[in-house]
Amino acid sequence: MLYETLHFSPGGDRAVEVELGDGMNFTLNFTVHRLVAAIREARLPAIEDIIPELASLQINYDPDRISYENLIREIAAIYERIGSDVSGSLPSRLLTLPIHYFDEETTACIEDYRKTYPEKQIDPDLLCELNGVENRAALARRHSGTEYWVAALGFWPGLCSLLPLRPGSRITAPKYNPPRTWTPKGAVGIGGALCCIYPDRTPGGYQLIGRCPAPIYDGSQRLPAFRDSLALLRAGDRVRFRPVSAEECAWIDAEVAAERYEHDVVEYQIFSVDQYLDWAKAQGEKA
Amino acid sequence: MSAHGFTVLKPGLETTIQELPGRIGYLEQGFPISGPFDKWSFRQANLLVGNPRDTAALECQFLGPSLRFDQDVVIAVTGADMRPKLDGEAVPMWQTLAVSAGQVLELGAAYIAARGYIAISGGIDTPVVLGSRAVFHMARVGGQALVKDQVLPLGPQSSGAPAILAIPEGSRPCFSTDKTWQIEALAGPNDDWLDPAAVEMFFSAEWSVQAKSNRTGIRLTGPEFSFAGRALNKSSDHGQDPSNIIDHGYPLGAVNLAGQTPIILVNDAPSTGGFINPFTVASAAFWKLAQTKPGDILRFRRVDREEAGQLRAALETMTCAGVTVRV
Repeated sequence: MLYETLHFSPGGDRAVEVELGDGMNFTLNFTVHRLVAAIREARLPAIEDIIPELASLQINYDPDRISYENLIREIAAIYERIGSDVSGSLPSRLLTLPIHYFDEETTACIEDYRKTYPEKQIDPDLLCELNGVENRAALARRHSGTEYWVAALGFWPGLCSLLPLRPGSRITAPKYNPPRTWTPKGAVGIGGALCCIYPDRTPGGYQLIGRCPAPIYDGSQRLPAFRDSLALLRAGDRVRFRPVSAEECAWIDAEVAAERYEHDVVEYQIFSVDQYLDWAKAQGEKA
Repeated sequence: MSAHGFTVLKPGLETTIQELPGRIGYLEQGFPISGPFDKWSFRQANLLVGNPRDTAALECQFLGPSLRFDQDVVIAVTGADMRPKLDGEAVPMWQTLAVSAGQVLELGAAYIAARGYIAISGGIDTPVVLGSRAVFHMARVGGQALVKDQVLPLGPQSSGAPAILAIPEGSRPCFSTDKTWQIEALAGPNDDWLDPAAVEMFFSAEWSVQAKSNRTGIRLTGPEFSFAGRALNKSSDHGQDPSNIIDHGYPLGAVNLAGQTPIILVNDAPSTGGFINPFTVASAAFWKLAQTKPGDILRFRRVDREEAGQLRAALETMTCAGVTVRV
């Protein structure tokens, strides 16, 4: 749901939170990114950082160069000018990432947590139960049967929030409570209606379903995909998961270790928002 | 080759290189701003050695390092009192110190406050990563915490005899000696997710600093929060706990509420997440958070944006070149 007007809330004396609506969906997130692009284009010199998120954005600003009141007036004027129309086309890279479902490393991580919290249901089983999926194979089919929209990056360098683009592919789950103290690098998890890939060994709270052996973060920029950036993904990219066996996963691990691995990135595609929304509507009606 | 920086003899506890303004413009990819936690002490250390005040220098935490200088430099030690010694002799803090090649600076455990700063003439000349030399050591961005035997390069030294300067006591940050701190904070961005009584409670209660605090967050223990309708009746996209919200940006200094545990998000904190931020510490009060120790008591004083601006202006005058005096 999109609000009629922007909701502004000050975050201390150097930041403002701008909410556009309430919900986790493509249309709302797309509107966030349109507004962020228009704010960047306006080149307000006092703005230091912008964080686009699912349904909101945060602006960090220098309060000695612009007042809070003037800043939110400028942002409201930009939004009024561009409107909340969701249409048009944009370049959107398509990245196909390998995933080894229900692999040893994430299984061991889940078991490690269950040593302290034995009542915790095993993640894939919990996901099957909550989403009415008959077994793990069907869960993997549903998870890999859609493209994902990179809605936001944050929490940790390169960590991505992925929204499924096919309406029937939504998998939802509560987050761990309390959170895990560690998660294997490359683990793929589900939290709320989002999917994420852990860029590094970090704490975490998403339910784990597998591991992606292709790195999405490379601080040393050794692999070709990281020549221009330490993080693989950008908001507005699309991701598709390709299921791989334990053997192929091990082969990819070795290619990565030898600094030879080449990510599957298609750069020539244009994403038509109108055609996507028509398609998603038809898919939804079919279901 | 004569000049080659300094060598780490003992690394101390997660000692890192920091620089201002930090890593700006990369929050949208998940990189925290980093930079020195106590900007007041950091800038004064640089001014004492003749550097621009934002130059890369060392931040020490709880237990300082031992360093051998491999060229003639001037240095200054500010922030927490870690009882600095040069070749075994106690030396003053908040003052320029001339050091000859081969001399060893040794810092101990923090006696008062938590974080100390060592600035060195010429500045630390490590590679710039994403626009900054500031280190986010947990993700190894910009480098790591210091390690034994590491050799660090310095920038060019100015010629001529260095000025010996000091920071007068009245211009230094005043560290609590009774383990209590008053922290200025603003309501928002998500104070409307708490009930009004909980907002009042936050500004009247005493909050104890947990041992599990670091450069990502200061964890607090205190009374329980009660929530407003917005937190209790919301769409499932927000998550199940009253403190859950659809993932959003995290302001620096935000008091993030995860369940019932408030965590003040500081320099290396996550950029985004799924918990509410009912309050935010005024930017000019961050330095106090840097100097708190586990078990210290925080009391929050509510300020508005205007007063936060006055505090910023006051901090600015304390960290300008004019603050030093000749010894």
